[in-house]
Amino acid sequence: MFQLCSSKTILMKNITLLLLFYINFIFGQTIISGTVTDTKGDAVIGANVFIKGTYDGASTNEAGSFVFTTKTVGEQTLIVSFLSYETYTITHDITSFDNIIIKLREDVGALDAVVLNVGTFEAGDNTKVTALKPLDIVTTASALGDFVGALQTLPGTSTVAEDGRLFVRGGEAEETQVFIDGIRVFTPYASSPNNTPTRGRYSPFLFKGITFSTGGYSAEYGQALSSVLLLNTIDEPVQEKTDVSLMSVGVGVGNTQKWKKSSLSANASYINLGPYQAIFSDRNKWNKPVEVSSGELVYRHKIKENGLLKLYSAFSYTDFDLIQEDINNLAGVRFGMLNKNLYFNGSYKQILVNDWMLQTGLSYTNDYSKLTIISDDVRDIENSWHAKLKLKKRISNRLKFSFGGEYFNTNFNEEYKNNAPSVSRYTYASGVQAVFGESEVFFSKKIAAKVGVRVENVSLLKQTTVSPRVSLAYKTAENSQVSLAYGDFYQSPRKEYLKFSSNFKTEQATHLIANYQYVKNKQTFRVEGYYKKYDNLVKYDTQYVEPIANYSSAGNGYAKGIDFFWRDNKNIKNTDYWVSYSFIDTERNYKNYPTSATPSYIAKHNLSIVGKYWINDWKSQVGISYNFATGRPYTNPNTSLFLAEKMKAYNSVSVNWAYLISPQKILYFSVSNAFANKNISGYQYANAPDSNGVFNRRAITPSVDRFFFVGFFWTISDDKKSNQLHNL
Amino acid sequence: MKIVLLLLGILISPLMNAQSQYETGMEKAFELWKANEVEEASNLFERIARVETKNWLPKYYIANVNILAGFKVKDEGVLKLRLDKAQKYLDEAKLLSPKNPEILVMQALLNTVYIAFDGSKYVMTLAPKNTAIYEEALLLAPNNPRVVLSKAEWGMGSAKFFGQSTAPYCKDIERALRLFEKEEIKEQFQPSWGKSHAEEVLQQCK
Repeated sequence: MFQLCSSKTILMKNITLLLLFYINFIFGQTIISGTVTDTKGDAVIGANVFIKGTYDGASTNEAGSFVFTTKTVGEQTLIVSFLSYETYTITHDITSFDNIIIKLREDVGALDAVVLNVGTFEAGDNTKVTALKPLDIVTTASALGDFVGALQTLPGTSTVAEDGRLFVRGGEAEETQVFIDGIRVFTPYASSPNNTPTRGRYSPFLFKGITFSTGGYSAEYGQALSSVLLLNTIDEPVQEKTDVSLMSVGVGVGNTQKWKKSSLSANASYINLGPYQAIFSDRNKWNKPVEVSSGELVYRHKIKENGLLKLYSAFSYTDFDLIQEDINNLAGVRFGMLNKNLYFNGSYKQILVNDWMLQTGLSYTNDYSKLTIISDDVRDIENSWHAKLKLKKRISNRLKFSFGGEYFNTNFNEEYKNNAPSVSRYTYASGVQAVFGESEVFFSKKIAAKVGVRVENVSLLKQTTVSPRVSLAYKTAENSQVSLAYGDFYQSPRKEYLKFSSNFKTEQATHLIANYQYVKNKQTFRVEGYYKKYDNLVKYDTQYVEPIANYSSAGNGYAKGIDFFWRDNKNIKNTDYWVSYSFIDTERNYKNYPTSATPSYIAKHNLSIVGKYWINDWKSQVGISYNFATGRPYTNPNTSLFLAEKMKAYNSVSVNWAYLISPQKILYFSVSNAFANKNISGYQYANAPDSNGVFNRRAITPSVDRFFFVGFFWTISDDKKSNQLHNL
Repeated sequence: MKIVLLLLGILISPLMNAQSQYETGMEKAFELWKANEVEEASNLFERIARVETKNWLPKYYIANVNILAGFKVKDEGVLKLRLDKAQKYLDEAKLLSPKNPEILVMQALLNTVYIAFDGSKYVMTLAPKNTAIYEEALLLAPNNPRVVLSKAEWGMGSAKFFGQSTAPYCKDIERALRLFEKEEIKEQFQPSWGKSHAEEVLQQCK
């Protein structure tokens, strides 16, 4: 039967051909025929084959072949196009397009092509491999609406619950740099008391995409030893609206206005932890509860067809004063802070002719802090700015390159006043200038490489560094690929050191990363192993960071580990979950360490499980997250060993419930550390031993074990549909 | 017999040029589409679009064919390819005919395919866009039956989700049906779909 069919097809085809010949003979038409295959020689079915500027054409059949007639004569252009292939064109005399064989090259821009994403996690809807979805940033139970909190559920990060910042693959928090629209943010975290986790300063709803790289990132980014976090603001808001939030900790209001070519979004919030602390007392004695007033303003303007200007500014004012428990001081230690932070970021993007693109921007940060520690006063003023220009050229889908230059400048000024009448001043100014270039090559849909180099000069340290960055990716099967990355990364020592000395070299880290990933419809598996080597880390010889210390760059260290990530929202109905596990082995000999040791912010094993379940009948999303970390090292002065003992493991379960009352009203509840697990973040030992010769200690615990949050979010817009789900 | 007819057809067709190349081409494309030859129909609309560079209709139909096909796609890669193509031609159509309510409705439909495929990934960015698109379309063409129908259907989905009354939307769909009755086809091949779909949607109101 099958044979019959096919012979009939052949017969039909022959008759068609015969007919066409006949037509050709009578009407002076030319027959165009041939076969379209991919590079392997397999037939391409459904390709569009036609003569440019005419209706004459056909689609290829099951065998990849086509036949049609045309009245055109002389030199003509034949075009062959199909979804996931590069369009093929050939210009020649029309009579030569007979029985031709066309091989189409696969389009490397297609979704199933290899991806250069070693080391990175992306959140957004416009990426090939999405680890987090836009809503995840705000619906992860443990994150409390903070994008940094959501990223801490990804592998490669270490749970340092009392700090709240990102600690990536053995690096300190300062080794992660944050960029908004490609432009540096100098003070990304809000001010918070010791032992109370901080949050990202910026509200997540202004961003459309977040890229979090845990290593091996592009030559475009410098001054970061371990990680970069790239936030991109929204190009164009969808509609005009007003948002109102009433929360157990404060209030917020936002408004968006749109015009023909431009738009303006503004938001303001006021947080006061006083009422909450009055109901749920914590371990601190508050002289003045945490009070934060902040606001953001974004103006976007389209310039002609292809230009986009964005002006973003953020302001925050933080004030608190408290007395914290202290083993050496029965009355406790007073800590007060007043912080004013202003951030401005302007960026401009323009598509030029011939697939060139220009991106440029400028950011300015002014940070003022007044700290009171017992009876000492410290005033810090930081003025920093960053200017950058980048050009990108797309030669084809297979070859792109970019290059640019940038300049960072930081001016830091500290006044230190203790009981003595004199005031000590510490200042430094440092400029960093850099140029970078990078190219991305797709050899085929299966193999791609990115090669870049960055040259940086730090004026204060009188040092120039050259950092090569390479990454390779190879597609091993339909849904899987392996990648490799290598790079050198440099960063100036932190301001805590630079204000006392400039006798340093730039700190250095070398990353080597191997990655395997498997991505299939709504399922992602990723495993990444890495080795990092640190050099020129800061060392000093005093107990604290003091002006009198001898500073050097003699420190070094290493970190190696393996990260696993699994996400699935396919197998269990209405449920989306992910699991992250990281193992790390790291040691450093830096700061005032007498020997090489694992720093106190490192947990050898970190595990996060995040689950979300949608209950249709209740119009609710319930979420749960579980964080586990093995005990971190600490030094017990009753022994002679350094950082040799381990705290107990960290455990925390957080739950949340978002209830959609109506399309525009959301009620949100969350409880962090719901089971009030008594976690500890370290021990404080007495400065002197007691009468028995023992150094006493007290456990450093969070100010509260469990934290409740209730919020009501209301959006007012013409369409009566949008809501602040993304704002939670 | 078939071959004889084909032969006759081929022999006669070049002789009678009563219909323009555009009309024959478009009609042929619609025939292919009706026969569920999606790729062939899309390809033919594309060939027409590349010649009739000032006409938004063939571009609109390339988008339409690929968007409807997109509802059946199970693989995200394939879906993205189809919808990227649809988006490309829709963008070109928008440049030729700005503020066209038909193109706006098609754009909202394209977004809906994404949302239907993976709600948690796309709803946050695309749902408010759709709402805004329908607002704009209704402002431009308050009596276009496809605008009235699509907007009502979009609103109905959300009302059902929140357990609110769908009655006002049902009224709109009835109104759309009345508008379909009255609709005049002024321009050849102008979009005229939606009546039977409106009847289907209205069934949910009963």
